[in-house]
Amino acid sequence: MNRSPESGPHPTRRTVLRAAATAGVALPVLSACVTGGSDDQDRAAGNTGTKNADNPLGVKADAPLEVVIFKGGYGDEYAKRAETLYTQKYPGAKIDHQGVQKIGEALQPRFVANTPPDVVDNTGASRLDIATLVSAKQVSDLSELLDAPAFDDPSRTVRDTLLPGVVADGTFDTVPLTLNFTYTVWGLWYSKPLFAAKGWTFPTTWDDMLTLCATIKAAGIAPWTYQGKYPEYINDPLLGMAAKTGGPALVKAVDNLEPNAWRAPGLLGAAEAFAELAGKGYLMSGSEALSHTEAQAAWSQGKAAIIPCGSWLESEQKGVTPANFDMVMAPVPARTTADVLKHTAVQAASSESFLVPAKAKNPAGGMEYLRILFSKQSAKAFAETAGTLPAVAGATDGLTLSSGLGSVRDAVRAAGTETFTYRFRTWYAPLAKAVDDATGELVNRRITASQWSDRIQKAADGLAKDSTVKKYTR
Amino acid sequence: MTVTRERAAVVGAGPAPARDARRSGAAFPVHLAMLAWAVVTALPLLWAVVSSFKTDNEILNDPWSLPASPQFDNWSRAWTQASIGRYFLNSVIVVGGALLLTMLLGSLVAYALARYEFRGNRLVYYTFVAAMFFPVFLALVPLFFVVQQLGLLGTYPGLILVYAAYAVPFTVFFLHAFFRTLPGEVAEAAFIDGCSHSGVFFRVMLPMARPGLVAVGIFNFLGLWNQYLLPLVLNPDPDRYVLAQGLAALSVSQGYRSDWSGLFAGLTIAMLPVLVAYVAFQRHIRAGMTAGAVK
Amino acid sequence: MRHGRWRFLAGALVPALVLHAVFVLSPYAQAFYLSLTDWTGVAGEARFVGAGNYARLGGDSLFLHAVRNNAVMLVVVPLVTIGIGLFLANMMHLGGHGGRRGIAGSGAYQIVYFFPQLLSLVVIAVLWGFVYNPNNGLLNGALRAVGLDGLTRSWLASPSLALVAVMAVLVWSSVGFYVVLFSAAIDSIPRELFEAALLDGAGGWATFRTVTFPLVRESVHVAFVYLGIAALDAFAVVQVMTVGPGGPDGATEVIGLSLYRNAFQYGKFGYASAMGVALFFATLTLAVLALRSGRRERLELA
Repeated sequence: MNRSPESGPHPTRRTVLRAAATAGVALPVLSACVTGGSDDQDRAAGNTGTKNADNPLGVKADAPLEVVIFKGGYGDEYAKRAETLYTQKYPGAKIDHQGVQKIGEALQPRFVANTPPDVVDNTGASRLDIATLVSAKQVSDLSELLDAPAFDDPSRTVRDTLLPGVVADGTFDTVPLTLNFTYTVWGLWYSKPLFAAKGWTFPTTWDDMLTLCATIKAAGIAPWTYQGKYPEYINDPLLGMAAKTGGPALVKAVDNLEPNAWRAPGLLGAAEAFAELAGKGYLMSGSEALSHTEAQAAWSQGKAAIIPCGSWLESEQKGVTPANFDMVMAPVPARTTADVLKHTAVQAASSESFLVPAKAKNPAGGMEYLRILFSKQSAKAFAETAGTLPAVAGATDGLTLSSGLGSVRDAVRAAGTETFTYRFRTWYAPLAKAVDDATGELVNRRITASQWSDRIQKAADGLAKDSTVKKYTR
Repeated sequence: MTVTRERAAVVGAGPAPARDARRSGAAFPVHLAMLAWAVVTALPLLWAVVSSFKTDNEILNDPWSLPASPQFDNWSRAWTQASIGRYFLNSVIVVGGALLLTMLLGSLVAYALARYEFRGNRLVYYTFVAAMFFPVFLALVPLFFVVQQLGLLGTYPGLILVYAAYAVPFTVFFLHAFFRTLPGEVAEAAFIDGCSHSGVFFRVMLPMARPGLVAVGIFNFLGLWNQYLLPLVLNPDPDRYVLAQGLAALSVSQGYRSDWSGLFAGLTIAMLPVLVAYVAFQRHIRAGMTAGAVK
Repeated sequence: MRHGRWRFLAGALVPALVLHAVFVLSPYAQAFYLSLTDWTGVAGEARFVGAGNYARLGGDSLFLHAVRNNAVMLVVVPLVTIGIGLFLANMMHLGGHGGRRGIAGSGAYQIVYFFPQLLSLVVIAVLWGFVYNPNNGLLNGALRAVGLDGLTRSWLASPSLALVAVMAVLVWSSVGFYVVLFSAAIDSIPRELFEAALLDGAGGWATFRTVTFPLVRESVHVAFVYLGIAALDAFAVVQVMTVGPGGPDGATEVIGLSLYRNAFQYGKFGYASAMGVALFFATLTLAVLALRSGRRERLELA
């Protein structure tokens, strides 16, 4: 249940029910911390050692370490392996490991009492609300960790070993406070053997996509389907295409609620592209009413050739995917030849959020543990079992991955530094809803591309003017 | 309110008028209309039961087909893997606890208000009964924080207390009428025999009100068993999901695995106990319903 | 004895009153206060904003959609449900020869009709979500099976049909209850009245109009209030079954869903409370109107 996107900074619609509860639960849970922390003595006193090349964070070798891991879809074996590495390095250290499902319930009283553990994997439905933790100054600055040499490659810093965007995902007002362990990528999925058998090549430009769609349709298959019950799925490739055309400036303008951001040529062009896709009848009929599982099943049954989704698709479809379906993910094609980003650019975001509490007893040990966890060998071990990409670059090198995960890794590699992610979805949920609704109307041809951008712009302007909504910028 | 009681008794005898009717001769169109609605009602339910024995592929490809071979595995998968079994147990615990508490508190209040004169009696009565007509949505947001501040969010006791709190008004309203119609002589005789007030209530009056208790108990059971909004807000922990909540979560976010046949099996598991219980108790339900609703 | 009496009364009333005050009365009371603040759930950060939230309601197009949809449901769902319910209940009793005797199998029919009433609206919504599935649902499957392919629709995804589809589910789920209710009311009409009408040569419709309906009127009133309250809710069905949910593009949005989303997804607890207060007044108006017209008719009958 706890696939990366569920807990990630880019929630998918599957989080809706759960996020609903979380938003309610998490927000107020820690409010007590803001006022409750009168006990300001330094709990870490006496728990630091001398810093040197082998011990860049100054860990006291025999200080006990307490690790609390969210035990969800990935289990907690990967975390225990990192603990083993820790005790190999510091044999005197006693590690207290807890794998729990309800991080919030387990830790909220401890944060209030200023006796938190040393490392927390703050993930899952009942995770602690990070914004509240941050404003209560309960989270350590991880800059020291990021600038320390990587555990199994001292020539590089931890920061340099992470995939693009990971540090930014955990940065609050310029301070890195959390470190996300898994990496989710969005794109378009198809069956490799199907395309090979029909002699189709996945297009890199939108014109080629339209040509291919005509061919697919002529072959008696619906070119596209989408998870119509939750329009945000079809939003992802649309906004992804726009981001490629307009580059980071477009994404930033959208997230910062700048005037006319939604009227940018990149967004209009992408909206026109999807209106055309729908207008030419390239979307499987009935898709507009299908849930994610229904649309994905129709796709894996060969009723449609292409479907948009995040990198969790392969695990999600386990069990209903026919043998030798060999799904692969490709980046969204480029709309124009003058796009700012290459067509290989991907929308990507990290999740599974680790932090070191500010009031931890052994913060140096906590950071050292993260340095070990985010090492290539730990991440590799994780990738082998979890079926998802870790946030550590090159962690899957040399591994034989499943078809889908392999294609995700290749897409990340091809993208290089050209990854992007929209933040408005988490910052301004009502705007996300307005975008979803408008896109649903667009791909059902009830509104035009310009009406689409007008509608959303109006919603964004309303939000920008609304003084009761806390604003974020990037 | 006396009328209520008598009517309940009349209807409690079941569809008697139908029984003594001549069995023949109803006009054909009438039968057709009746049958048509019966089909409209039963078909989706039957379809769910049949689908729960089909494979995913059969469900996806032909909605009308019968299962080639019944997949009993769907049921066991729904029960264990999809956690329907756990949700079922949670529902039993929460509803069982809430039902006991509701019946105890509700009958005490109804009895005290119906049989004792004291200042403020009507005020207390209307305080309870007015709540029946308030939309729960109005209370939803503050209720969440009340429960949270009491540290009861996502706990069995929390749900049980809230369920009971919202079921007591109807129970009071319903049983109040019953207790008023019970003859006073028996109670007086019991007092003379030296029974205490609570003794009279538990040993004399409660047994006499049994038909009303059964009817309102069944209503409360149905209402509590099918409750969705309160657990959705107050019970965020997937381990403690009640059945309705679990099914909604399964259908909307079927985890990371698509499993229609399992979902249909889950639906059937959720439906069957209630339907079976209804067929067994239908007379009481009809009696209670009529007594409660027709004033 | 007197002492025991007060002790018993206290024991009987106080626990329930405490429960009632804590979990029912206090939340209702707090909602009115919260609706005047901009509370986002973080303690100590509630600012008093007066009628600000209520003013915003008027400019919230999604909320206005919700109000419109609830209003449509408020009219259509009770009318259709009561219509079908009265029709079936009447048929059951008048269908047999010689007046009010009931047709064969009416008991069994009533049992079957009542089934949906027993199911959680969630179960019903999940089930009907599958029934409405455009590609492998029961409804389109049935239409195709009888050669009516032209009538197949994407029921929940088309703006003009989605609300109808939701209302159909609400009607489907409640008709049985009212058949049983009305038929019990008809049962209690003195037999002589029907016999007299029969002697006067009144047909089925005339009997219904002159005898049955006036005498079950009170039940119909009760039904209007109950169904009206249900139509103002509709949360579970919409949240589980519809596109979005509440879509397409607000076509099935209801006040309850807007409230839930604003409170528990957006954290706008103050604003959501204002929606709750609005809903409360809608319910109150409905109840008062229904009771008043009920009283007037009772006077007319008397």
